[in-house]
Amino acid sequence: MAEHMPRIVCFCCEKHGIDAAVLAARSGKQYDASVRIVTVPCSGRVDGIHLLQALDDGADAVFVVGCLEKNCYYDTGSIEGRKRVNYVKSMLSEAGIEKERVEMFNTASTNAWAFPEAVSKMVEVVRRLGPIGKGGEQQ
Amino acid sequence: MKAAIQVVLCKCCTEMPALLDMAMLEKIASETPMVMSVKTVDAICDGKNLSEIIREVKEREIDRAVVLACQKKDISPALFKAYTRAGINEFMIELVDIRDQVVLPHQDDRAQAQAKAEAKLEAALARVVMLAPLVRSVEEMKTRNVVIVGAGFAGMAAAQAAAKTGAHTILLESSGKTVKAPGVILTHSKVLGAKGYGGNFQLSIKAGEKVEELGAAAVVIASGGGWTKLKGPLAKACKEAVPLYELYLSIKSGNQIKGPVIVVDTPDPAGKTLRVQDYAWDESLETVIDLKRRSPETLIYVVFQEMRAFGLSELAYKDAAELGVKFIRYDKAGAPRIDPNLPGVLTVKDFSQGEKLSIKFGTLAFASIPANPDNMTIADALRIPMTAEGGIRRGSVQRGPVSTPRPGVYVCGSAMFPKPREVAQAEGQAAGAMAGEYVMKGSIEFGGSVAQVTAEKCSACLTCVRTCPYEAPFIGTASKAEIKTQLCQGCGMCVGICPSKAIELHHYTDDQIAEETRVLLGGDL
Repeated sequence: MAEHMPRIVCFCCEKHGIDAAVLAARSGKQYDASVRIVTVPCSGRVDGIHLLQALDDGADAVFVVGCLEKNCYYDTGSIEGRKRVNYVKSMLSEAGIEKERVEMFNTASTNAWAFPEAVSKMVEVVRRLGPIGKGGEQQ
Repeated sequence: MKAAIQVVLCKCCTEMPALLDMAMLEKIASETPMVMSVKTVDAICDGKNLSEIIREVKEREIDRAVVLACQKKDISPALFKAYTRAGINEFMIELVDIRDQVVLPHQDDRAQAQAKAEAKLEAALARVVMLAPLVRSVEEMKTRNVVIVGAGFAGMAAAQAAAKTGAHTILLESSGKTVKAPGVILTHSKVLGAKGYGGNFQLSIKAGEKVEELGAAAVVIASGGGWTKLKGPLAKACKEAVPLYELYLSIKSGNQIKGPVIVVDTPDPAGKTLRVQDYAWDESLETVIDLKRRSPETLIYVVFQEMRAFGLSELAYKDAAELGVKFIRYDKAGAPRIDPNLPGVLTVKDFSQGEKLSIKFGTLAFASIPANPDNMTIADALRIPMTAEGGIRRGSVQRGPVSTPRPGVYVCGSAMFPKPREVAQAEGQAAGAMAGEYVMKGSIEFGGSVAQVTAEKCSACLTCVRTCPYEAPFIGTASKAEIKTQLCQGCGMCVGICPSKAIELHHYTDDQIAEETRVLLGGDL
């Protein structure tokens, strides 16, 4: 069987998150091409439904990147974002899906390695867990 | 839905074609319905091909555009201006940062990079169809006033910097001291409350005995530290003790200082309420050197837990020791104490020697000081956050190092946490210049990508009111939430949290985000 190509969606905040991703790219960091970035104004904008819909549309993992909690452009945005992600995690474990598939990361805009690190963590999770629902079919 | 889309592909000189199949991207773009024109340019940042792009916009009556280039900061503003002039709303331009998200990070994976670029292009095409034109409103500022709260080092520097930009400066000083600074100076005055938003504040101030209204376009908070409010066991035991700042001013004005002088790092050496603050070390050294040079016969002791003089201040440590200043180190177990029966004698156990010392003193000064008690009123009036220590908290550094989360309100100097004079002055200059520049724009822009409530769905649960850091949502007369557009920053926190799904953020609606995600994951366009 051919190796499963992971499909990962990243909801990236327009302020520190995107800046960190751009800085990573411009300082020559390479990361997995399976990551697709959706820009949102703030990680607090991310709603549980976006994360769940992304999983429904075929993503194997979803992660949110926001500002550092004490340095958020919108003051409390990344704290709100983390709350949503944790809420979705609890919903996923109720539904029998591994909650590791949804994750939240905080980064400073000057941190060039944070974004590639987040990507490699998520790719690792998908490599370990495989595509969604596979565990259920085997049982 | 009817739309006429233009797709602009930037080659970024040779970077894009080196990795991506540009012809394939062009083919995808031109085969998509409603795409009227596809343009490939060498580099969009130099603005050379603008006229060609705009000609096509006019010929084919284009109303929205997808630009595949790099991040917005790097694209020539001329492109957006030209698009706006050609009648395309600024919110109908979808930028795809193909360079930083595809080309640069996936250099060694050509096939995957191509697939990702195609998905990004398709997602942008799906999204651009759903975009709606939005208008920004402009409101004139009623005044050109920059109100500076506090006339210390930071406040005076701020007034000078703001006056240079042409703004009217009004300094509010809580004491009655004489202040030399440009603009109107109101002594014995304080901020009591504020209404409005950045650009049009309506402050209520107490000037002397009267309470007055004062219009302000921007506010600079330079309230300083709580110099007058010393707390801690040592300060309680010795009522005559002064903060280091006052000792410094006293030395500068040529007063006779009663010796021997003891400088203790904090009035609470056991460290329960007030930690030793960073600035204490540098300032102690500077002050004692100054005093020792003026009156070499005065005995000076510096009592400290650790001396962490930063950078070149290390030299001041050496200078002070050479001038004959005595340094006594203590730890928390042998913290300095004053016996109430023996006022004027400080007992401390020298940590290095292990000896108990009793030092007679004429003047006692503390280097660390608590936060200004006025900060509470100021923060409450202007609705800005505070630190746990009671200082004013600044906003994200991306807004600027002297900005608060609220536009039009700046903070500088020891109002955040105690700082050396030079730092406070430099911050004052920065805050004054930023406030002056903000005021001299003359008008504020708002609206555009902001949140809006659908009244029918709203259940007035107050969740948005509590969540918004800018206090933009409020319950209106119809008992439904409304959003004050001037205050809304467009973060969308209220949209994500609304349990009734009654709020929508323009330009980032749920449908737009969901559609973009779906197409990015390989869904049909």
